Amino acid sequence: MTTLRNFGRHSIGVIAVLCAACNMTVTNPGPLQDAQLNTPTAMPALVNGMSGDLSFALGNYIDRGGLASGELAEAGNFSAEQQFFIGVIRPEDVNPDWSNMQQARWSAENGLDRMKSVLGANFEKNADTPRAYLYGAFANRMLGENVCTAVIDGGPAQSDSVYFVRAESLFTRAYTLAAALNNTTVANAALGGRASVRAWQGNWTGAVTDAALVPNTFVYNAIFGTGTARENNDLANQTITRRETTVFGTVYASIFKDLRTPWDTIKTTSGAVQTGQDGKTKFFRQTKYTSLSSNVPLVKGAEMLMLRAEAALRNGDIAGMTTLINQQRALYAGLTAVTAPATTAAAWTLLQAERGSVVWLEGRRLWDLRRWNVEGTSSFLTGRSKCVPISTNELASNPNLSK
Amino acid sequence: MTRLKRGRAFWLAMLLAVFAPFALRAQGGATVTGSVTERGSNTPLDGAQVSLPGTRLGAASDKSGAFSIRGVAAGSVKVRAQLIGYEPMEQTVQVPASGTVRVSFSLSRAAVTLSGVVVTATGEERRRSVGTAMATIDTAQIARSAATNPQDLLAGSTPGVTVLANGGQPGSGGTIRLRGVNSVSQGNSPLIYIDGVRVFNGRTPTNVGGRQFISPLNDIAAEDIDHIEIVKGPAATTLYGTEASGGVLQIFTKQGREGAAAWNLSMTSGFTNMGHIGPSSDPNGQFFNNCSGTLTIGDGTKFQDATCPASGSWLHNGPIARLNIGVRGGSAGGVTYQVSANADNEEGVLPTGGAFNRGLRANLGFKPAKGLTVNINQSITNSRTIGFADGNSANGAMLNISRGAGSNYKGVGCADATVVCINNDSLFTNQINNTTNHFITGVTLTYQPVDALTNRLAVGFDYNNADIRYVVPFGNYRVPLGSMFETLWQRQFLSADFASTYRRQVASNWSTSTSVGGQVFESKLYSTDLQSDNFAGPGDPTLVSGALRLINSVDQQRVINAGFFAQEMIGWRDILFVTVGVRMDGNSAFGKSFGLQTYPKISASYVISDEAFWPRRWIETMKIRGAVGDAGKAPGAFDAVRTWTPVAAENGKPAFSTNQIGNPALGPERTREIELGFDASALDGRISLQYSHFDDHTYKALIPVQQSPSLGFSGSQLINVGELMNSGHEVMLTAEVFRHKLVDVTARVGLMNLHSEAGNVGGQTLTIFALGRTYVQQGLPVPSYYGLKVMNPNDFANPIIQANQYLGSAYPTRIWTPGLSVKVLDRITLDMQGEWQIGGHNLNAVGYQNANLVAWQPCYAAQAKMRQAAAGDSSGLSSVTALERARCTINTKIARDYSFWVEANDFFKLRSVSVTVDLPSKYLLGAKSGSIAFAGRNLWTSTKYTGNDPETSDQRDDTFARRDYYVFPTSRSFTMTLRLGF
Repeated sequence: MTTLRNFGRHSIGVIAVLCAACNMTVTNPGPLQDAQLNTPTAMPALVNGMSGDLSFALGNYIDRGGLASGELAEAGNFSAEQQFFIGVIRPEDVNPDWSNMQQARWSAENGLDRMKSVLGANFEKNADTPRAYLYGAFANRMLGENVCTAVIDGGPAQSDSVYFVRAESLFTRAYTLAAALNNTTVANAALGGRASVRAWQGNWTGAVTDAALVPNTFVYNAIFGTGTARENNDLANQTITRRETTVFGTVYASIFKDLRTPWDTIKTTSGAVQTGQDGKTKFFRQTKYTSLSSNVPLVKGAEMLMLRAEAALRNGDIAGMTTLINQQRALYAGLTAVTAPATTAAAWTLLQAERGSVVWLEGRRLWDLRRWNVEGTSSFLTGRSKCVPISTNELASNPNLSK
Repeated sequence: MTRLKRGRAFWLAMLLAVFAPFALRAQGGATVTGSVTERGSNTPLDGAQVSLPGTRLGAASDKSGAFSIRGVAAGSVKVRAQLIGYEPMEQTVQVPASGTVRVSFSLSRAAVTLSGVVVTATGEERRRSVGTAMATIDTAQIARSAATNPQDLLAGSTPGVTVLANGGQPGSGGTIRLRGVNSVSQGNSPLIYIDGVRVFNGRTPTNVGGRQFISPLNDIAAEDIDHIEIVKGPAATTLYGTEASGGVLQIFTKQGREGAAAWNLSMTSGFTNMGHIGPSSDPNGQFFNNCSGTLTIGDGTKFQDATCPASGSWLHNGPIARLNIGVRGGSAGGVTYQVSANADNEEGVLPTGGAFNRGLRANLGFKPAKGLTVNINQSITNSRTIGFADGNSANGAMLNISRGAGSNYKGVGCADATVVCINNDSLFTNQINNTTNHFITGVTLTYQPVDALTNRLAVGFDYNNADIRYVVPFGNYRVPLGSMFETLWQRQFLSADFASTYRRQVASNWSTSTSVGGQVFESKLYSTDLQSDNFAGPGDPTLVSGALRLINSVDQQRVINAGFFAQEMIGWRDILFVTVGVRMDGNSAFGKSFGLQTYPKISASYVISDEAFWPRRWIETMKIRGAVGDAGKAPGAFDAVRTWTPVAAENGKPAFSTNQIGNPALGPERTREIELGFDASALDGRISLQYSHFDDHTYKALIPVQQSPSLGFSGSQLINVGELMNSGHEVMLTAEVFRHKLVDVTARVGLMNLHSEAGNVGGQTLTIFALGRTYVQQGLPVPSYYGLKVMNPNDFANPIIQANQYLGSAYPTRIWTPGLSVKVLDRITLDMQGEWQIGGHNLNAVGYQNANLVAWQPCYAAQAKMRQAAAGDSSGLSSVTALERARCTINTKIARDYSFWVEANDFFKLRSVSVTVDLPSKYLLGAKSGSIAFAGRNLWTSTKYTGNDPETSDQRDDTFARRDYYVFPTSRSFTMTLRLGF
């Protein structure tokens, strides 16, 4: 019996000592818990995060968007990219792009809600607020221009035009608040962004009004950097560091000495033109983005001139269109003026080529080709995928989408 | 007495208590001496434990089988002899007051024995009372395997164990599974205990360029291991608690034993060798076996490699040199020691690559007071591996050399200026350097104040660190300014483990054994990923040599797990045993709404062969056993909460980005196992058979459920939604087919049959690794290959391709392990061990990529005919099958898919062949014993898999899915080992 009592005492004693020695706290420094962001001092980084998410989504997409819209040709071994290049955009191949674009939209829109709640009365006076609206608006524009169907926050499928509606509203708020805070850069960017989404909704008059207010030399960029891999311009990675996509085989391969669509070639030690990563396709290297920190324009005065030119053509004003195109060309050294086309068809051809050069590798071409295809002025996308479908991850996880 | 003096007196008393037994060596009493031999052959048995139950006296037999125990008190004394692989024996002798008494033991061989003990979570338990299967790899098996580490020892060793090598570079860690897969997200590696102390059971991060991990388990030298006990399923591991559903490996290193210092020296010399690489139809062996002269790829493109070695091949034999020196001994007072040191150098078969290990182990045991035993086990290992870029790396050896003219390393110096000129030797300037240090210390106190009560406290500290580097030097052909990646990794594991067992006879036929205990584990991880790009010039770079320096990730986590258990075993007539137990666990990684987790178990063991009615004449041993038990796996720290990641944005400004959406209801997943089986031995130990059926059901499985990306969090979130089923059979048959004084032949065969199936996993198909076409889907094995399938593979027609098809299980479903041991003239032993894995698949991504680059020889003929057809002559297509058309397509922009390259990877590997000759004493030149062994590992492979090696997989792509993506295959080794005992 004594032994049994000893047994009990020993056991309880040792277990108690073991327990007392435990500090049961788990630690994992690094990730921040959601509630820790609810402080005014966290707001600047929250808004920077919106910008980062937008750049990340854009920087990763412009390569595949370029392949789908004939801006680039495939020269590597990536299977999804090969599909984009032949005009097949499959739900299983768009998971990164879909989620990156959605994350850029959600982080800005959700961040704005958090900013309102945390900043209270100071929300509209906060210097970062107009930028937050601007990032939300550009994220919505990117989605509207590239995806086939709108899905908001796990909700049901909606018309893709929903994104343009949201973008216009956010651009308007960005413009209003930026103007009130005398932030000309953000105000011009908001005007330029709104001009485009107004046009895409058919409001060309409104588009021209906004576009005309943006200085011709104005550029507003998505920012990239070399500090961390996430900040890298992925197209530069694929074409400067690697040789995955080429200008060879696109219409831009026959355009020389145009600052809007620059490219070069590399020679091997034997003097031949270097081939792409696939070892076969000639590698013509885009040099619009020459480093991992090259920025990608979101709004440019040159694009505003092209919007106004397109509005003129839609009004049958070929001469007006040509004037605006030549104003745009004058912004780039080495380009000469073009003469007015004789026919409307020729005018469309000129306009589409010029707009293509202006927004080359900016993730915008697929939308232009898609809307012109619908209107019958371009056949490039006929028989090809015209937009990014809902990704398999969204289809599999969103109960509001019919299966 | 002042407080100070009282304190001094206390410590003095403690010191006296500790050292008194050493000073007061047993001088009086009698001596029990004798010998231990094998029954039948009369061969002396080395290392048998001879003890006097109920006392702390004991000794081990030496090489000649002799033993001697001094200081034995007069009277009737029980003496017990036991050795793994033999039926223990007990005799009673009358010991006089002084002088010597002799007793001899003749032990029967028995692959299945019900005597002796095994180590469980509660401490030592008698084999006959354990209701679950236990497998042991014993000393003899270790010696004949020619293995250098536990991973090699486990491969093909016993049914229920699956080992896949992953990569062929020296130092690459393998994948180890016990009874298949019970978890999708939390890993399936078994828990590891070394000498009763729990150690880290994971792996290092993968090297960016080498793309394989290092397994700390392999830091234990095989020469230091006494035996390994394998505890396979949750029914047996319940009391080990959360994280034990992958099974438990108990490794016991060699311990000291009473007697004069006995020195052991083991010297090994040999070489690694690579046979033909890639498809047997490829005469150039992927341009590794032959790189000389002008070579041609499938489309006729000619190339030369100006840097091809003079031998005409990239391959050569890599030298192996190993040295292990150890001493063991002990005093009659119970102080024992075993100290060993080892050095192991193994070079690979390519121009660079090798593994260099140094280890030191000291095991000390002493008995400072009556009933108290203290064991201190310490080991320190330093390992360094040097390698080449491998796997899915643009600088990889396999990726570049096997592509022929398509190598990234174009260059100059070729004799023929009209062909593509390659300089592949430049890729060997990219270096993989891994350095690890591994320190384990454990103290185990066993206190047995009376026979009936045993208390055991084990405290252990396991420290692993690794410096994992990948250096692309300045001047590299592809990255001219160079770059460097370095991961600094540290893993600390502190554990305390207490168990107390009280046994008593409650009535003439009834006995009980009551155990309680607890464990606390603290796991710390520090891991930092660093990068430095663009060096200023040549030289040996450090992280500050580059103009661009990046901190890619920092991971610092501390997780605590604490649990308690209680177990009651009731025995009836020492024939029937019923055990019930429960384990309760708390884990600080759990979500807020989870508290203690409870894991119950019940098992029974019935030694029916001890019943009077049993025909013992034919079947002398038969134990029927059954068990049901739960074990679990915990989610990681912070898996339950919504988190944001600090990132940089706007070119270097601080920012936040979404990380994880969070799930406050998160808890551990649970696996319940039902196990039934028997252990039998017949015909005087000539035949033994062990059989187990197990049926595992994992419920509340932690499944990474994809969240709607439109909710802003792009990744998946762990949710307890899944069900996984995993069942199978294990059979181990050992038969002495011929037993004679001159020749003794023992054959053995193990079989594991495994059926894995996913239940509902959250109503979705889980993507494990999309590029590897690996998924988890309801009704299919976990995980499976899934995707596009050519429905008419052998037809001479265009492929009919259907989407969403099951392509095969990623892991084998059946493993046969045949073995044979032949002992001739009691001096020469030949041993062979094979392994035949069936039912698994691998994705031959080398074929997929190289076919597209017209550098996959099996596609050459089909591609020539397809080119001819593209030029207008389709006549050749009539002999090109649909599968060849899909795999070898030259219209690469349309139909290529990894799915077409998922292949059955059934293989037979001759894991080891050894011939050991015990040297006659006249040749030993003063040594007491000696043997020489000639051994080979992985000597022969038979497979229809067309890739480079059915076992390999790029571990940086994914550690659960398997994709043979330009991974350098495993080589074979030939060694000669001289072992001497002094």
